[in-house]
Amino acid sequence: MDPIEEIKQTFFQECEELLAELETGLLTLRAGDGDEETVNAVFRAVHSVKGGAGAFALDNLVSFSHVFETVMEEMRSECQSQSRETFDVLLRAADLLVDLVREARGGAVVATERTTLMTTELNNCLAQNAASPASECQSEDQFEPLMEADALGFVPQQIIFDDLDGDIEPTSSGQSAQIWSIVFAPHNDLYATANDAVVLLRELSRLGEIDTVLAMDSLPALDAIEPEHAYFSWTIQLTSDCSEDDIREVFDFVEDECDLEIRRLSNDIQAAPDTDTITPAPNDIDRFDAARSELLGTDPASDALISDTRTATTEAEPDETVETPAITETPQAQQAASPQQSTIRVDLDRVDILINLVGELVINQSMLAQHAGVSGFSKEQGVGTGLDELERLTREIQDSVMAIRAQPVKSVFQRMPRLVREISAQTGKIVRLETEGETTEVDKTVIEKLTDPLTHMIRNAIDHGLETPEQRTAAGKPAEGVVRMSANHRSGRIIIQISDDGAGINRDRVLEIARHKGLISHSEILSHDEIDNLIFKPGFSTAEEVSSISGRGVGMDVVKRSIESLGGRISISSTPGTGSVFTMSLPLTLAVLDGMVITVGDQALIVPLNNVIETLSPRAHKIKYLGPHERVMALRDQHVPLVDLGHLMGLRDHLMEPSGGVCILVENDAGAQIALLVDDILGQRQVVIKSLEQNYRKVDLIAAATILGDGRVALIVDIDAVICSRQSSSDHTIRPLEQTSLAS
Amino acid sequence: MPAANQIKVLVVDDQLSMRKLIAGALMQIGFRRIFEENNGKAGLAHATSSPVHLVISDYNMPDMDGLEFLKQLRAHPLAGKTGFIMLTGRADATLVGRARELGVNNYVVKPFTVTHLKAKLEQVIGKLT
Repeated sequence: MDPIEEIKQTFFQECEELLAELETGLLTLRAGDGDEETVNAVFRAVHSVKGGAGAFALDNLVSFSHVFETVMEEMRSECQSQSRETFDVLLRAADLLVDLVREARGGAVVATERTTLMTTELNNCLAQNAASPASECQSEDQFEPLMEADALGFVPQQIIFDDLDGDIEPTSSGQSAQIWSIVFAPHNDLYATANDAVVLLRELSRLGEIDTVLAMDSLPALDAIEPEHAYFSWTIQLTSDCSEDDIREVFDFVEDECDLEIRRLSNDIQAAPDTDTITPAPNDIDRFDAARSELLGTDPASDALISDTRTATTEAEPDETVETPAITETPQAQQAASPQQSTIRVDLDRVDILINLVGELVINQSMLAQHAGVSGFSKEQGVGTGLDELERLTREIQDSVMAIRAQPVKSVFQRMPRLVREISAQTGKIVRLETEGETTEVDKTVIEKLTDPLTHMIRNAIDHGLETPEQRTAAGKPAEGVVRMSANHRSGRIIIQISDDGAGINRDRVLEIARHKGLISHSEILSHDEIDNLIFKPGFSTAEEVSSISGRGVGMDVVKRSIESLGGRISISSTPGTGSVFTMSLPLTLAVLDGMVITVGDQALIVPLNNVIETLSPRAHKIKYLGPHERVMALRDQHVPLVDLGHLMGLRDHLMEPSGGVCILVENDAGAQIALLVDDILGQRQVVIKSLEQNYRKVDLIAAATILGDGRVALIVDIDAVICSRQSSSDHTIRPLEQTSLAS
Repeated sequence: MPAANQIKVLVVDDQLSMRKLIAGALMQIGFRRIFEENNGKAGLAHATSSPVHLVISDYNMPDMDGLEFLKQLRAHPLAGKTGFIMLTGRADATLVGRARELGVNNYVVKPFTVTHLKAKLEQVIGKLT
């Protein structure tokens, strides 16, 4: 990548962090919780965005951030006492800034009117503060020093370079410090006599401060490398008060096995302009100039290049030095040195590869355990305990790797304040968003897929849930409505709740619509919960009129489907007059699953354990036939449909006799239950999910695949699909349990 | 006429992108011994423990801003005379005045071109080779 482009990308990443900080800061200030540091952080964010944008000539971004900054500068002294309305304007200005950064990154173009309008709004805030309005800055050159140095009364002060090194450097003693240039090129014999260049360089570093440059131009292509030949040479600049003899002593034992050139340079920097005095090996200059011009797009300068290797070079392997021709100190080196930097950025693909490999490891481990079991090895003491230990370690590795993918839900949550602002502006409702449990961690894939459903639910909560300020006041509630968003872990799943303190679900209206649309029959009597959950039915939309916010009919059913596709469940509970709570329960990861291994015919299948309620031995007298293919099974005081899984999947032509198999009572997320008739149950185990769609194609009734301990592929049954196919094929003559009123 | 490649420069800015840009500009001018820190506190620790000839520091930084950095650096018995060039977002008379009182050698308004930076450096160092 073009080096400037690369720096620009770094800038954009910083912008993301800065703008998130800006938003958080403004929200804190609006809530009246901010201190001076919050104000500073907010200013710094806008200021830094402007500064960077100027450097990359991103004009739109520069001009707006300039206006923004100027307005805030004017308000600075009484920033903490600004009105809520002013902060709302600033927050929307921050939103615009986010969009402008996105535009600069090649995203959607921001309409000029929007910027103009926002500029006016910002200036209006100022007018209220009786300050002079900021003008939109049109071009970059206005940022050239507006006043010359003397105009500001500034006279540049000469810098006098004293013997800085001599004064302070602990490694050298006062005025006698010298700068030495040492060129060290080992012969093949050097290595043959068991000497090591690294050791010599390290020894040299004890004499003083050294700057090392590696020349590797004589290194041939891989296939031409003679392993016993020496290809590298070093140019070392040593700052030390030692004598030439001291330096020669370091190379004492290898003097005949290398080319060594030692010259003294001056120690006075001001008096050392003569670049000829430093002559590193010509190769060095060529090489590093080439590298540098590649990096900076500049012409190679003829002067010597002395890379700073203060941090690591002498200790480093030669290859490392080559990898990082450290022109400046690398950020990594700094980060390693700085104690607060404890994170690294890793390409997601690498993590996915690791996850995949661990998946293979788990499979392999269980295969090994199975083989050892079959051949009787595991009975032998050593093998058995070894295998147990391997299983434990594998499980630990798996958990640790999964934890790498885990991310706090904050990344999704922090998108919502902006959404709330936009919707509250559109609907005229006053809304406060409260969040809790932002640090709760969940798999990255789950997080990515959470954004859309959450957005939709927040929209719904404000658009349909909350009342208008007038309605609220009339009902004796505060005019400001509250939407709460929380996340926490519960029994291996993540629970996300979105609640509002609105009017709750209007059940009469819901029933009326559901009946009108034929979603339920007129005679059906439903519990409160059942009525509430009708809003998840496809095609259900309660908005009196279709609004631009909640859309047309693609309401909660879509949300429900996307949550279910993540292996999650969603439900609602509502109290008239006090509000509604949506509860989502999601798996922590999509990569593994606890499953029950069953057999149907000669196939091994997996039923997700969270769908399984109980297992039963079917008795002939409990089975009732409804036509030739439909059967129900009596289960305590109810009847549930009995489905022969093998027959349904086309693995056998005829229905299996119930007495020949085992029944598994399963339930989908909607609470519909059926009994699955299968040949046998082999056991429970954790399985690694392998996508069928990616590796083969989508197969009806199958969610994914996995590999068993014996190496066989086992398909994972999509219980929801099985129940749905059952409902549609039977044309609702048999409905799941709760809607069936068969006498036992 | 000092040789740019002999001068140790410490670039202090909280933004990685700005540090890279400044370091890139310094490379073009001919500097080779460039160090980086990301705030005033880290800059001060660097400049006092491992001396440099010149500091180029941003003003607006978390933890310790450029002015405080300058003040504390000037107070240091050994590193007190280190050259100091302040980067500012705007030509603000108050800020520049404070910096002058504290003994700044020069200031540069962002954004700047390589030529501009070089000119500002030469004002205080002399013609660079």
